Amino acid sequence: MQTDSLIYRHNRITRLTHWVNAFALLILFMSGLQIFNAYPNLHWGSKAEPDEVFFSIYATNDDGVIRGYTQLYGWTVETTGFLGIQQTEMGPFPRAFPSWLTIPGYFWLAGGRRWHFFFAWIFALNGLLYFFYNLARGHVRKFFLTPRDLSRLLPMALYYLRLRRESPQEGEYNPLQKMAYTGVFFFLTPLIFLSGFAMSPQLDAGFNWLPAMFGGRQSARTVHFLLTFLFAFFTFGHVVMVMTTGLINNMRSMVTGWYVEGEKTPETTASSSEKSEPPANKEADDDAEK
Amino acid sequence: MQKNSSFLSRRNILLGALQATGLLVLSGCESMFNSLHQNKTVLSILESVEGANLWLLRLVTPRGKLAQEFSEADISRYFKPNGNPPPFTMEYVMNAMTGWPLWRLEVAGLVKEPKSFSLEQIKALPARTQITRHDCVEGWSAIAKWKGVVLREIMKQVQPDPKARYVVFYCMDSDNEGNHFYESIDLRDAGHPQTILAYEMNGRPLPVEHGAPLRLRVETQLGYKMAKYIQRIEFVENFKEIARGRGGYWADQGYEWYAGI
Repeated sequence: MQTDSLIYRHNRITRLTHWVNAFALLILFMSGLQIFNAYPNLHWGSKAEPDEVFFSIYATNDDGVIRGYTQLYGWTVETTGFLGIQQTEMGPFPRAFPSWLTIPGYFWLAGGRRWHFFFAWIFALNGLLYFFYNLARGHVRKFFLTPRDLSRLLPMALYYLRLRRESPQEGEYNPLQKMAYTGVFFFLTPLIFLSGFAMSPQLDAGFNWLPAMFGGRQSARTVHFLLTFLFAFFTFGHVVMVMTTGLINNMRSMVTGWYVEGEKTPETTASSSEKSEPPANKEADDDAEK
Repeated sequence: MQKNSSFLSRRNILLGALQATGLLVLSGCESMFNSLHQNKTVLSILESVEGANLWLLRLVTPRGKLAQEFSEADISRYFKPNGNPPPFTMEYVMNAMTGWPLWRLEVAGLVKEPKSFSLEQIKALPARTQITRHDCVEGWSAIAKWKGVVLREIMKQVQPDPKARYVVFYCMDSDNEGNHFYESIDLRDAGHPQTILAYEMNGRPLPVEHGAPLRLRVETQLGYKMAKYIQRIEFVENFKEIARGRGGYWADQGYEWYAGI
């Protein structure tokens, strides 16, 4: 049993940008779905031929029986009540994503675009602030996945699955964390910006390679949509990890900066199957402003 | 067996409660975002980034660079005619049926030489043919071949005043409330080599549903800027006094005036 000790885990800028980022991503997600609802079909290539749709959310009306469907290539699933048709107080209403998932909550493309572009600026400026501040402090390299981490990915996964005793972690971030953060910072984020930019007629005129790198403007739109769900998947995984490794302690460290090392939180002791959180690293956090 | 079903029902109750809480939170969020969107201050803050978008996009894009031009094989089989229905006045229908003998394009405003052109006169001016991609704000794209007079050519003829900053296009179509369609672009986009007043689409006279006899093509902006059924062009210093003052039919409805993104 370790003695509890407080460590200063997250600096001020990291805490601030983390919460701004969480909020911006939520708004971008929901306003993006509003924009998608204006044309709930996806295509590959430059143009959108109606008979070349590969993904679609739509509604049908067979003699008053209204149903919502979601179609991916040859597969069609009825999604009445969630996708395609939403049950409202005034009866079934055709809309691809339901009102509670979109901003604004009624169909208004112009409004969705206003929110989306405003928070795209917030997301970008906030991300740049986080990135350059932490780059200057030498923090970014701590979560940057290097080739020597690659061989540790499998052992780390085995450790998480309780198939391995020792954590292969060295430093502040474990190899899987590094992979997730490196992927989000250096792959997902640049690509979601580029695919968004590739939908701009002005930028496409200036840089013909921009839509071409995705295979055309409609492909860029599709990629932008798919990356959205990779972000959502990352966020889901992130939240699960936060909850299973000591919710209160993690939340405190992201709000106040202080993290209790060696603490057994009710969250981790509550579930008997989980022994404890992975051993906290013993390295001194050089971000600490003690 | 007994245990199992009670477990299931307990789980169902829990799940149901969770779902209800979720929906309550979500509908709370929904109404919160809706009221935020209807709040004038919030909306004007959100709208403020339009200027930033214009600034950034123009800053990084080299002036006069051409939008991608495609080949005949890329032309869309289907091109959705969007927006308001075609004008349904006796004058428009008669003109359309007889090859536009009475239609004229008036060009006026802050110019040295206001002019009026017949369709024949416009067709006699230097033309440009381009196979370009049309990007609708809704999300779809369609490719077509357009032929028309380069707007710069018209500008050369009427010689805009140095005070002129925008070109306004007045159209013959209107919505069911009687608002006439109009649009405006600034001189940078007006002077773009691919900005044309098109009278041909895919090698045929411009169809009525696509804006006959004359429509705008601005390849650096979204489709809703590309006024159809044009009858008058005006060079202005600002568009505050026109309609609801936001520079275009769609801008008056809440869309961005600058549709380069």
